[in-house]
Amino acid sequence: MMAKISFAVLLLILNHGPANAQPKGETGVRGEIVGQGGLKFPIAVSPLKNLGTTADVGKLSEGIADTIVYDLDLSGWFKVLDRAAYIENPQKSGVALGSFDFKDWSTIGAEGLVKGGFTIQGDEVTVELRLFDVFQNKERVGKRYVGRVKDYRRIAHKFADEIINQFTGVPGIFNTRIAYVSTSGGRFKEIHIAHLDGSEKFQLTNNHTINLSPSWTADGKSVLYTSYKDRNSSLYLFELYSGKEAKITPRNGRYLGGKASPDGQFIAATVETGGNSNIILLDRNGNVIRSLTESPSIEVSPAWSPDSKQLVFVSDRTGSPQLYVLDVASNKSRRLTYSGNYNTSPEWSPRGDRVAYTGRVGNRFAIFTIGVDGGELRKLTAESADSEDPTWSPDGRFIAFSSNRAGKYHLYVMQASGENQRRLTGSGGDDTKPSWSPRLE
Amino acid sequence: MAAMNKLVCCGLVTIILAAAGCAPSATKPEPSAASAPAKPAGQSPGEGQRGATGESTTGQSSLDELQKGKPPTSGPLKDIYFSFDRYDLEGEARETLKANADWLKRNSTARVEIEGHCDERGTNEYNLALGAKRAQAAKDYLITIGVATDRLSTISYGEEIPVCREQNESCWHQNRRARFVVIQARPAS
Repeated sequence: MMAKISFAVLLLILNHGPANAQPKGETGVRGEIVGQGGLKFPIAVSPLKNLGTTADVGKLSEGIADTIVYDLDLSGWFKVLDRAAYIENPQKSGVALGSFDFKDWSTIGAEGLVKGGFTIQGDEVTVELRLFDVFQNKERVGKRYVGRVKDYRRIAHKFADEIINQFTGVPGIFNTRIAYVSTSGGRFKEIHIAHLDGSEKFQLTNNHTINLSPSWTADGKSVLYTSYKDRNSSLYLFELYSGKEAKITPRNGRYLGGKASPDGQFIAATVETGGNSNIILLDRNGNVIRSLTESPSIEVSPAWSPDSKQLVFVSDRTGSPQLYVLDVASNKSRRLTYSGNYNTSPEWSPRGDRVAYTGRVGNRFAIFTIGVDGGELRKLTAESADSEDPTWSPDGRFIAFSSNRAGKYHLYVMQASGENQRRLTGSGGDDTKPSWSPRLE
Repeated sequence: MAAMNKLVCCGLVTIILAAAGCAPSATKPEPSAASAPAKPAGQSPGEGQRGATGESTTGQSSLDELQKGKPPTSGPLKDIYFSFDRYDLEGEARETLKANADWLKRNSTARVEIEGHCDERGTNEYNLALGAKRAQAAKDYLITIGVATDRLSTISYGEEIPVCREQNESCWHQNRRARFVVIQARPAS
């Protein structure tokens, strides 16, 4: 018999702290300790009520609810109750506390409830959404949003972020995008971006060559990537608002990859000269500041620590690719990984405590995380298929990656513990090298 | 209005998703117009120059051939192969390089671009670096056995332009290669 979980209990579970702890505004709140097969919070998400006189031709009533359901499901913390079981007719009952019967929801096993209404005026929509505690017959939070009708999913993502905030004290990450490389079924590799739910897909490059390793600038406004469009690999910056693309690395250099620092000041890049690949520090415009490694071995794939003071990168200086941590101010580095003989594509958690990377296990590749001090190594994916190229969500609670477990390479997302692995919408081609955006407005 | 007043008294916060502050698609750029115009296959800068030599021995880079949708053609120089995650030259590779050097000695005006390639396994960026090492290892050996440095250039395509697309060792072996493209059979006038 599974114990009933109340809001308070789930808060406790998610916060890993005393019951009287105030979750809001705390930093370092951990949400991933709901264990394997652990308790999931039963929640109902009602279709929204049309509060206005304009007909719901765009099916916002279900569309907003569906988006919230997708997000809550993706988080892995909720059991979203099947809509077919709902008793209440959303168009005939009220939205606010006191204007509907909690029994309609407790009867079907819901302990949380999302209800809302909307009014369409021209191409604008006003949406109000509320989260209720069915157990205590209380409203937890209510928000009203105004936006364009076609952006209704963003409103839903924002409220899903708020629901996560209510439970964990840290907002969710559903108003984010993933940049990735896709063949879209063709022979070229182009950069694409899309929301986690596959909506608002957008193709960034269309130069019919090879475009690789997209990564976001910290402000979420641009994507940095490597392209062969001018025959030699170089770094390009694509500004999303203006659609402007600029080659930012010097003309005569070969740049294999690069990442902008979280403080927005620098780019750490891999430059190849005479067959040797080394890490180099560039300013935000691509001008060379100084070399960070000067080695005859392979030195690639720098990734910044959240404070922009350190980099984790790959070096084969001992004969096999391993991860190293480099202090940017002193240029001093230390080895991070000792397990395995092929460890690549590191990404530093936005929380600062762990590094995710791709490691070879036998003939397969798997996603691992390791503490920044080299402790607590965890393998997160099974070696029945290849899983590569991890990228952290901006809250550090999730990791997206690419895997060929369903044949072609597709993008997947999982909790940082490795649980609740879900496939994101595919493109029909091979989708690889995901990069998770910061939180977007 | 009654409903609205009630909402306000309950502390609802109205959040305006202002058009200007919205996420990227607020001003959805047209991909084709936004990024540089796509280069139609066959009109890339390097290729016209290469075609102009008019020699039957000149080849095309793997990128040119990818753009044309053609499988890579073999020129007068043979590919060499590598082990997984290695860029040292094995005995067979050295023999092939000696034969390639002989051809270069007979065709003393030819210039060659050495392409480094990898199999699909592992990380793209690491493989770009590994491909660069493979191309450089081939170049260094050719120089050692007497080919002039200025006749040789290198480029890495990492795992990006495989010749074989199946997932097995025989295919991966074919992809772990250095390819030699004769880019100029006569000296530039």
